[in-house]
Amino acid sequence: MTPPGTESQTRKIILTGLWRDNPIFKQVLGICSTLAVTNLVLNTIVMCVALVFTVALSSASVSLLRSITPRNIRMMVETLIIAFYVIIVDILLKAYWPEMSANLGPYVGLIITNCILIGRCEAFGNSNPPARAFLDGAFSALGYSFILLIIATFREVLGMGTFAGLAVPFFSGPAWDKWIIMVMPPGAFFMLAIVVWVFRWIQQSREEAKK
Amino acid sequence: MREKRWFPILYMFLVTAFFSSIIIGFASVTRGRVEANEELAFERAVLEVVPGVSGANLSNAEVHPRFAEMVEEPTASSGGAYLVKRDGHIVAYALPFSGQGFWAPIGGILGIEADRKTVTGIAFYEQNETPGLGAEIVKPPFRNQFKGKVLATQGKPLGMKRPGAELDDSTVHAITGATQTSTRLDVIINVALTEWQSKVGKEGTRS
Repeated sequence: MTPPGTESQTRKIILTGLWRDNPIFKQVLGICSTLAVTNLVLNTIVMCVALVFTVALSSASVSLLRSITPRNIRMMVETLIIAFYVIIVDILLKAYWPEMSANLGPYVGLIITNCILIGRCEAFGNSNPPARAFLDGAFSALGYSFILLIIATFREVLGMGTFAGLAVPFFSGPAWDKWIIMVMPPGAFFMLAIVVWVFRWIQQSREEAKK
Repeated sequence: MREKRWFPILYMFLVTAFFSSIIIGFASVTRGRVEANEELAFERAVLEVVPGVSGANLSNAEVHPRFAEMVEEPTASSGGAYLVKRDGHIVAYALPFSGQGFWAPIGGILGIEADRKTVTGIAFYEQNETPGLGAEIVKPPFRNQFKGKVLATQGKPLGMKRPGAELDDSTVHAITGATQTSTRLDVIINVALTEWQSKVGKEGTRS
């Protein structure tokens, strides 16, 4: 069943999602949630897990239905499938982790409007087999996740002196004057801009080195 | 069949029915847990305003026994407020309030001492305001302001003033950058308090 060249294809999907077409620093998608949930590392981790789950499964589901879905209503179907998985995540959090559900507030529901989801469903799930769509969704979301974790780590350590709630030596001590602005909304803009800048610079200099 | 004009409609209908029924099933399976969590949040909020009990520090398992031990359901004479008792005496009233916030409903508890005018604290069991702005109402800097305030008998029982304004015994500072949340909360609290005062009488008399 395995078509020839699958291995390199898999590798390509992984690299594209994580690096070449990274949703944050290359495509600049899903920025709203990036700004919103990165003030604390723990919130970010939960958001990222939720996103990996929803992107991978919704893209795979769209792919499963792709041959029978009429083209003119495919966006409606995609949105419906995305909403379905997001509501599942929301219910799970409300039932089993109410504190986290309260922390993330409206942002779980807002995953529905995260452009990465509809982007992957449209660009990949719609025209590729389910397993590959799943992989592509998962790695796009992981590409989003690792950038978010970098931003969240800087914001929480500089702003609160903690990492995922645990005190970090030096930064939690009296010698460090906590940069409260980092955990407030403006801090997200600063960190996001710096991270996008640094990663684009790395990407560009690597491409130039290849030439 | 796929070329028929009605096919997309039928297809959308079937897909929607399929996914919706899974969600409905899933939601009804977890409903018990979700409701238990909401009840726990409510009971914890009540305990948070009871003087001498640090409701925020209780573990989830401790909340309900403590609530059952100290708190009694509202009676006709308590004006809708829960009664907090210790050794048979009323030590405080826990008045629930709720209403529409900026984004979603806000629900909370206001603790009032047995004298029926001194506020013991405020706690929230439900809110979905903007994180970092309106949601600051659940943080100690805002909530601690209420402790020790005295309900006014003239005009609004509890006033909210813009940050930096001079305060008196029955006013607190609103939240910077969250005018909508603050003004709505002001209305919600005062509607509940005014109604409660009209039921139990304005002047604090021990019953």
